[in-house]
Amino acid sequence: MSEAKFESVTRELRATAPPAPEGLRERVRDLRAPDVRRVVRLRPALVAAVAIAIAVGLGAATVGGLFGSPEGSDQTAVRGRAIELPGVLDAPELRRVTPRAPNTQGDSTFRAAKAPRFSRPPFQLQASAGFAPLLVPGTRLQQYAVAMNLRVRDLSRSTQAAVRQTRRLGGYVAAANYSTGSTTGDSSLDLRVPVQNVQHAIAKFTDLGTILSQRISVGDLQAPLDRTDARIAAQRKIIDELAAKDVRTPAEQQRLDGARRALRRLTQTHTNLVREGTYARISLQLTTRKPVAKHVAPSRFDRFWDNSGDILGKEAIAVLYALVVAGPFAILALLALLAERTRRRRADHRLLEGTG
Amino acid sequence: MAEEHLDDVYRYLLYVTGNPHLAEDLAAETFERALRRWRRFDSRRGSARTWLCQLARSTALDHFRTEQRRRRREDTYATDVAQADEPVFGESLSPALDAAVRSLSAGEREVVVLRVVLELDGETAARVLGIRPTAVSTRLSRALQKLEERMVSDVRG
Repeated sequence: MSEAKFESVTRELRATAPPAPEGLRERVRDLRAPDVRRVVRLRPALVAAVAIAIAVGLGAATVGGLFGSPEGSDQTAVRGRAIELPGVLDAPELRRVTPRAPNTQGDSTFRAAKAPRFSRPPFQLQASAGFAPLLVPGTRLQQYAVAMNLRVRDLSRSTQAAVRQTRRLGGYVAAANYSTGSTTGDSSLDLRVPVQNVQHAIAKFTDLGTILSQRISVGDLQAPLDRTDARIAAQRKIIDELAAKDVRTPAEQQRLDGARRALRRLTQTHTNLVREGTYARISLQLTTRKPVAKHVAPSRFDRFWDNSGDILGKEAIAVLYALVVAGPFAILALLALLAERTRRRRADHRLLEGTG
Repeated sequence: MAEEHLDDVYRYLLYVTGNPHLAEDLAAETFERALRRWRRFDSRRGSARTWLCQLARSTALDHFRTEQRRRRREDTYATDVAQADEPVFGESLSPALDAAVRSLSAGEREVVVLRVVLELDGETAARVLGIRPTAVSTRLSRALQKLEERMVSDVRG
C-alpha cells in the first residue's frame, strides 16, 4: 500500500470509527462493583514468601550468633577428671598457680598422709579457682597421666635436663625419641615419676620453656583394687579350708589347684594396680618450632560472625539441597506452562483467523 | 475510567467481531470483568487502556470458543455477521472500505484496529496480543496489503 493510500485509509478509518452506543454507556454506568473475594495474587505472594523466608533465615542466624555456644573461646575445660590447658601459657604464669614442691618439711599439702593400705597415698585432682589444677593428698589409689607440650630454645639441652630431673625425682625414662646433639626439632619423652613427686616434676619441666598445652588426667584404681583384694581373700579362704583337710577327693584337689592359680593371677593384678598408682605417666613433648600464630581468644563479635556464618552456611546448604531436589520438577513445570501458553496463543490466533 | 475508555473497547470489539450488537454485549461484559478484577490491575505493567483491551480480547476469545463448540454440536448455525448492506465499521465509512475490512479475518481486523484506529504503538499492541512487536508489524503489513487488494478488486468489480 502506497504512503498516500495508507494515509487516506487510516484517516478514514479513524474518522469514521463509531463511538460506543448510548445504550452501552447506560449499561456500563449501571454496573456495580460486585463483592469480590479477596484474591491472593501469585507473584506478590511469592515475593512475600521469599522475603519472609530470607528474614527468618537471617533472624535465625542473628539469634544463633548472639546466643550460640561460645566455641573457640579460651576457657579451661573441666570435664570429668581430665583437665586441659589449651593455648600458650608462659612458664612464670603457670608457676604462679603451681603448688609448692611436695617434699618440703612441714608442708601439709604435700606431706605423705597415712592411708589405709598405702604408705604413699596418691594425690587427688581438684579444680582450683584459677586455671591450673591443684593436686592434694588423698586416700585412694589413683592413676595419673600428664601430657605436656613445651616450646624450648635448645632441644638437646632441654631434653637432657628433663631426663636428669626425672632420675633425680626417683623416676625413669620409659621411652624417648630425640636426636642427640640436635638443637632444633622435636623430641618426645615418656617418663615415669613417683606420684608424690609429680607436682615437683611438673614445676621443673615448666622451667624448661613455654607451655603450649598441658593435660592432666586421673583414673581411679581404688575400686578395682578393692575388688581384687576381696577376691584374693575369698580365694585364700578356699585354699585354707581345702588345705586343712588331710584327705581330699579328686574334685576337691582340682578346686584347690584352681584356687591357687586364681590367687596367683589376682596377686599379680594387685601388684600391677599398685604399680600403676605408684608412678605417674608423664608424656613430655618438646619442640623448638614457633607457633604459626598466637592463639587469640575470639571476641564476642568474632563469635557472633562465626556462629551466624555457620547457621547461614547450613541454611544455604538446605536451600541448595531443596533446589537440587525440586529444581528438575520446577523446570518441567515451567516448560509445561510455557508450552501451554504457546499452544493457547496459537490456538487463539487460529481461532481469530478462522473467524470472519 | 469506563467512560474514558469505553469507545476504545467498543471499537476494538466491533472490529474483532464485525457485529455491533455482539460488540456491545462483549463490551459490557468486559467492563463487568474489569470491575471484578480491578484489584489485579497493575499500572506498572501497562496503562488502563491496554489492560482493558487485553480483557476485551479475552472476552471476545471466550465468546468465539463458545461459538466454536456450539457450531461443532449443531449441524447448521446462524451467522452472527451483520448483513452485507449494513455499514458495520462506521456510518460514514465508504462501502468499499467497509466491505474490505469486513473481508478480513478477525485476527487481521484486530491488529488493524489496535494499530490504526486506536493508534496504539507497536509495543502496546504486542502486549495486548501477547506476541512480539515484530510479529505485530508483520501482521499489520499483511492485513493492510490484503485490505488494499480487496479495495482494488472491489473498484474493478
